[in-house]
Amino acid sequence: MQLIDLRSLPGTIRLLVLPLCILFGSAAGRAQDNLQARTTAGYVPVISGGLAYIQNVVGGVQYLVPQINPVLLVPMGHSVLLESHVDFTGFFNRKDFTSGPYVGKVYKTTESAQLDWLADSHAIIIAGRYILPFGLYSERLTPVWIHNLQDIPLTYAIGTHPYGSGDGIMLRGVAASLPSATIQYTAYFSAQSSIEQLQAVRAAGGDTSIFVPSKRVEAGLSYQRTLDGYQINNEAVYLSWQPQRASVDLKAEYDRNHYGDGYWIETAYIPQQFLVEPNFFRHVQMVGRMEQFFVRNGGGNGLAGANQHRPEVGLNYQIQDDWRLESSYGRLYSHSGNSNTWNFGFTYRFIWPLWPGRKS
Amino acid sequence: MNDQVRKKWLLVLAASGLCLATLVAAPGQTSPAATGPARSQTTAMAADPGEKVFAANCARCHTPPMTLNPRVTGTILMHMRTRARLCSKDQKLLLQYLAP
Repeated sequence: MQLIDLRSLPGTIRLLVLPLCILFGSAAGRAQDNLQARTTAGYVPVISGGLAYIQNVVGGVQYLVPQINPVLLVPMGHSVLLESHVDFTGFFNRKDFTSGPYVGKVYKTTESAQLDWLADSHAIIIAGRYILPFGLYSERLTPVWIHNLQDIPLTYAIGTHPYGSGDGIMLRGVAASLPSATIQYTAYFSAQSSIEQLQAVRAAGGDTSIFVPSKRVEAGLSYQRTLDGYQINNEAVYLSWQPQRASVDLKAEYDRNHYGDGYWIETAYIPQQFLVEPNFFRHVQMVGRMEQFFVRNGGGNGLAGANQHRPEVGLNYQIQDDWRLESSYGRLYSHSGNSNTWNFGFTYRFIWPLWPGRKS
Repeated sequence: MNDQVRKKWLLVLAASGLCLATLVAAPGQTSPAATGPARSQTTAMAADPGEKVFAANCARCHTPPMTLNPRVTGTILMHMRTRARLCSKDQKLLLQYLAP
C-alpha cells in the first residue's frame, strides 16, 4: 500500500523524501552512543551569544550601534536540542546627521527557532526557523564576536536576501569522515511565510564542503534556488585556509546571482613571535579584506545598484578570552560616490547556564 | 567598472595573497593557525584526539573559550555539532577534551 503518492509532491520536497526515509529507518534501529561516558559534561539549558557596542562613521555621519545576540539552548535528552537565536541591534545617529540629539531605534530579528534532532552519527535533522546556510559568512561568521571586521561583505545579500533565515526542514551532517578528508553536507527546503518575525521566502538549496586536515584547507560550494516570484539561482564557492605553521586565517568567497556577483578575500594574522613585547602582540590581530561587487541586470534586491569595491583593514585586541576591542577602516569606491567607513568598539561573548547542574 | 580594472584588482589581490602567505609561512613560526591567543594551544599536531578535532573544526571559525563550565559543555557541543556538522564520534572526543 502506498501511503503517499510521490508524484503529487513538489519536486524539491520529493528530493528530500527518500533520504529522510532512509535516515529515519536507520536511526530507529540504532542506539545513540553513550556520549557522557568518561566525561563530566552536563546538559543544562544555556544562554550564550555575544554583545557589542560599535561606533560607526560612514561618510562623516556617526552611528552608535549597540547589539546583543542571545542564543537559548534547551537540551531534551542527548539527541534533541531546542535552540533560538534572537538579534537586537540599535541604530542611533544625530537628528540632523551631524548635529542635534541622538535618535534611532532598536530592531529585533528572530534569526532561528529550531529543533535539532541528532538522528544519526552522520545526520542531523532540523525543523523550524533556521539561518540560511549559504557560503562562509551567513551561518558561520555572522555572530558579532566571531567576525573580524564589523562591516558585512558587499555580496552578503546573495543567498540570504531578504530575511537571512528560512522556515522549514534541513538535513545536514557528515557524508564522510576520513583521516585524509571530511566531507560535510546540508540540504534544506524553506516555505514562504509572512508571519511577523518568521518571514521567509520559498527556497531550496544545499551546501557541501571538503576539509583536508593535513593542509587545513576547506573548499565548499553553496547553491540555492528561490521559488517565490522571480525564480533565481544563488551560487557561492568558498575557501578557508589556516596554515599549520603560521597564525594566519585566510578566507575567501565568490557569490553570484541574477542581480550581481562579487568576491571577498580576508586575511587575519596574529604575530605570535613578535620581536618586541611578544606577550602583548600575541593578543593583537591584524585583518585585511578586499572585496568587489559587480552589478548584473540593474542590481538591487539587497545588493548595490552600482559597481563597488572596498579595501578594508582592521586592528583588534583580545583583552581576555571573551572581550575584544575592535577597530577598522575601509574605503568604499562606488560609481554612485566614494566614502570612508570607520568602526571602533568592543565585543563580548558569554555562555551562562540557566539551571544548576550536578557537581562532578 | 570595466574588465581591465577588474583584472587589475584581481592581479593585485592574487599577488598580495601570495606575498602574505610566503611571509607568514616562514620556518621558525611554529604557532598554529589561530585568530586568538588561546588558539596557540590547539594545533593540528596535538596529541589529544579531542584537541585535534577542535583544531580541525571549531578553530576554523572561532577561538576556544578558556573557561567552559562543565555543566554547559554537553549542551554547547550539541549546538556546535549541529552548526559545525560534526559526527557523533567527534562530538564524543570533544566532550572528553573539554570536560574530562
